[in-house]
Amino acid sequence: MLNKIPKWNLTLFVLIIAEMIVFGMINPRFWNVTILLNSFNDFIAISIIGFFVTLVVITGGIDISGVSIIGLTSVVTGLLSQVVGINIWGSILCAILIGGLCGLLNGVLIAYGRVQAMVITLGGMLLYSGIAIVLVGLSGVSTYEGISGFPEDFSSIANGEVMGIPHSVILFIIMFLIAYILLHRTKYGRYIYLTGINQNTADYSGINTKRIIASSYVLSGLSAGIAGVVLTSYLGSARADYGSEYLMPILTVVVLGGTLITGGKGGVVGTALASILLGFMQIGLQMAGVSTQYIGLATGVLLIVSVAFLGINPEFRLNMKRILTQKQHIGG
Amino acid sequence: MPRVRKIFKQREFRTFLFLVLLFMVVGFINSDYLSLQNIDRSLKSSLLYIVLAVGMTFVLLTGNLDISVGGTLGLSAAVCGTILRDGGNIFLAVITAILIGAIIGLINGFGVIKLKISSFIMTLAILSITRVVQVIYTDGKWVENIPANFKELSNIDIFGINLLSFIVIVGVIFVQLYLSRSSKGRYYNAIGDNAGGAISLGIPVNRYIAYSFVISGICASLAGLIFVSQIGFVSTNAGAGIELTVIAACVLGGVSLIGGIGTVVGAGLGAIILTSINSALVFMKVPAFWNDTISGSLLIIIVVIDALLAFHANKKAKKLRLNARVL
Amino acid sequence: MRKIKSIKIVSIMAILTLLLAACGSNENSSGDGDGGKKKDPKDTQVVFIPKMTGNAFFESGNDGAQEMAKKVGFKVKYDGAPEGTVANQVQIINSAVNSGADAIAISSVSSDGLNQALKKALDAGVKVVTWDSDVDPKYRSVYVDQGTPDILGKMLIDMAAQQMDKPDEAKKIAWFYSSPTVPDQNSWVKAANQYIKEKYPKWEVVTTQFGDANEQKSLQVGESILSSYPDIDAVICPDSTALPAMAQAAENKGLKADDVIITGFASPNSMRQFIENGTINNHGLWDVKDQGALAVYVAYWLAQGKELKVGDSLDVPDMGSVKVEPNTIQGYDYTADDSGIIVLPERIVFTKDNTNDYDF
Repeated sequence: MLNKIPKWNLTLFVLIIAEMIVFGMINPRFWNVTILLNSFNDFIAISIIGFFVTLVVITGGIDISGVSIIGLTSVVTGLLSQVVGINIWGSILCAILIGGLCGLLNGVLIAYGRVQAMVITLGGMLLYSGIAIVLVGLSGVSTYEGISGFPEDFSSIANGEVMGIPHSVILFIIMFLIAYILLHRTKYGRYIYLTGINQNTADYSGINTKRIIASSYVLSGLSAGIAGVVLTSYLGSARADYGSEYLMPILTVVVLGGTLITGGKGGVVGTALASILLGFMQIGLQMAGVSTQYIGLATGVLLIVSVAFLGINPEFRLNMKRILTQKQHIGG
Repeated sequence: MPRVRKIFKQREFRTFLFLVLLFMVVGFINSDYLSLQNIDRSLKSSLLYIVLAVGMTFVLLTGNLDISVGGTLGLSAAVCGTILRDGGNIFLAVITAILIGAIIGLINGFGVIKLKISSFIMTLAILSITRVVQVIYTDGKWVENIPANFKELSNIDIFGINLLSFIVIVGVIFVQLYLSRSSKGRYYNAIGDNAGGAISLGIPVNRYIAYSFVISGICASLAGLIFVSQIGFVSTNAGAGIELTVIAACVLGGVSLIGGIGTVVGAGLGAIILTSINSALVFMKVPAFWNDTISGSLLIIIVVIDALLAFHANKKAKKLRLNARVL
Repeated sequence: MRKIKSIKIVSIMAILTLLLAACGSNENSSGDGDGGKKKDPKDTQVVFIPKMTGNAFFESGNDGAQEMAKKVGFKVKYDGAPEGTVANQVQIINSAVNSGADAIAISSVSSDGLNQALKKALDAGVKVVTWDSDVDPKYRSVYVDQGTPDILGKMLIDMAAQQMDKPDEAKKIAWFYSSPTVPDQNSWVKAANQYIKEKYPKWEVVTTQFGDANEQKSLQVGESILSSYPDIDAVICPDSTALPAMAQAAENKGLKADDVIITGFASPNSMRQFIENGTINNHGLWDVKDQGALAVYVAYWLAQGKELKVGDSLDVPDMGSVKVEPNTIQGYDYTADDSGIIVLPERIVFTKDNTNDYDF
């Protein structure tokens, strides 16, 4: 099982190189490191959440509430720092913790309540974005103007650079490393895989699967909190409606990264590569003159083509062989 | 008596109880909610979701997922609307729409069975593709000025009840009987419950999985037709995000996402509950910014309570079984 | 073993990145050289950005923009995402700058969320013009305004009041639009509520509902409003999805304009059938095609290096002369010589008599 991952990741990597070449040839402006590195800004939120949703999916669950937690943490950051007057760094910490709390609610209900993950996180998605709107409504801040006026320090979280490399790239690498180490270098990570492969067996071998599952949702919630803070910093404004359009991209990135939706297989390296693949594809297509509303078509086709023809599944290769040899047989 | 008790034990009955409870609570706050007119209207608004839920149930029963229904709905609605707007024959529009649903269902089935792509991925990809195809087909514009006679179709009443609602409910009952009584109908449950076992029994698993996707696609395009008739105009984003609501409706109604469990009656009831929550909040004169919070909490609470009840029922049943074996 | 493989992958990526950096900086410098050359006005590229795609209102704006571009002879690219979110618009702005656009004309979904992205655009030499929904005036040159919130709020109320026999008496009205978070609709409603307090103090706003620009939901909420408040006098819908849905809800119940007043902002094409069958008497909008055309023309003008100061008049092909007003008319504090607002000369109230004259 673990041997399959590097092969798929290699495929993704090759695809990234291929698309960089192709898009560069269509519009040489694409071959600009500054532009490519800055593009991380636009998909950093998707990637951060994607890394930890990967963990959730490996345990056999799914978490779609992250998109609303983004809005909630944004509102909390804004309200605490601008309206209540708490120090910005304290507000950020509170906001991220609230993200974790939401994740905890999800996790406890799913792991201990024996309820299906998709429905709980769907309800969570409505609930958390609802809370964000209610908070704004109750605090008297106008719902349609975002809360702004953040200090320079805060804005530089997402907008700054270190030696020419945008902060978002560094954040990407840090979150990736955290997720990678958790998943592939600790016992915790191994338990996550085992829980996903067969929860009963894992239970019998002494793993507290309920705690593992619940904690994966907490991590996912925390990551959404971090993404919310980053997004607020990037846009300089706290709003309740951030994140709603990220649902499909997050799922796409996790699935394209080779993580099986049924659990037990997958990894964050794939998710990272898939994020880069999709992120570059979007600006590549835009630079090639394609209007953004059509990019969904390319994403869909890419998804099908890559999963089908580059064979995540050995059964597919077997099937193809069978079809081809059958054809030959009939033809000959 | 035992038959009646069996009905009470059914998951669907619990769902029905939730629905009644919802109506009673809201009716208590605003008695207009319980008027026959309003119940009729709630039913009308949920028709779309009921039809989608029925189709989705077929797919869910076999252990798969169909996230592409929103895109199929939008595309069928757009095509149907365009044909009608340009003066085409109603039958042509209806049949074209259904064909589109069937074709998309076939493509989904092909991807899942032949290309061995997980249904989640395949239908996710098809969703993105159909959305963009719809944009290209309508050139990014809304489909408007649909002839009034088509819109009237969804408004016809007989004996005070909306005709379309009547047709849908009768349809659901027929499908329910098919799935639970007829031998072919029970294949779907069997496949989801134990695919390997189903193959050993000689059930043509792949064929029925393909059928399930085609049925889901056709239901989505039927829902698209209802959409055109009820709403009267098709925007480029028609049906966006509806797939999640439909899945929630099915789960509320007792259909398991893993497969093998559930009925279309349950899914239909779940659909009615979800849509009723929307109008319930307006009736209870709750300030609109509480809508999402309340919908989300209700969804979670209902599902959790239901899971707890099911767990206890299971425990009791297990105990009974154990006692029966031991003693 | 796997560790080595991942390290190999990472190092290959790093080397390739460095190589690209070398190539990239070369491309960059030659690119800059090109920028110095004089540009043919025909190659001026304006990126026209709606709040979201797939909405009849914005598509019409684009139609106007494309027509203007063809007439005068420059390029307009229509770029937007189906979801009207801040993050999407920022990404599109960034993409426009990266692709080398000369100017952007944008209808913004947030009054301050785009500031950083617009700043980067301005720094890169891209001209910024806004239309329909404005941003912080510091970050744009000109706003092509369909009407200040006061004008539009008053218009909404007047359209409803003129259908009432005795508007000074106690009336029950409801607001129904997209969401509590969109800047423009909420600003109009706020101004309108203020106007109600002053002019029609006996009116009561019984509820404010949201349809999320989703037709199915809007229809359902519309029907619920009619059922929950059977004695309602007027429902005002300043949203292009809510208004047709509300009218359809009334039509489904067999209500006509005498029973309940329904009005608001939506495109004439979407409301024509309701005017013709008597469900509504009037609704309003402005010529969004003109607005789009004007926006890209101003963008084109600025992209050529020409200036527009407050108080200047600009001759627009086929539209006559428009004047640049100071920002204060929209209630902003920020004023500068080169930052101003061009207000559309008129808004349109559509009735049975004139709805057939328009096609958008």
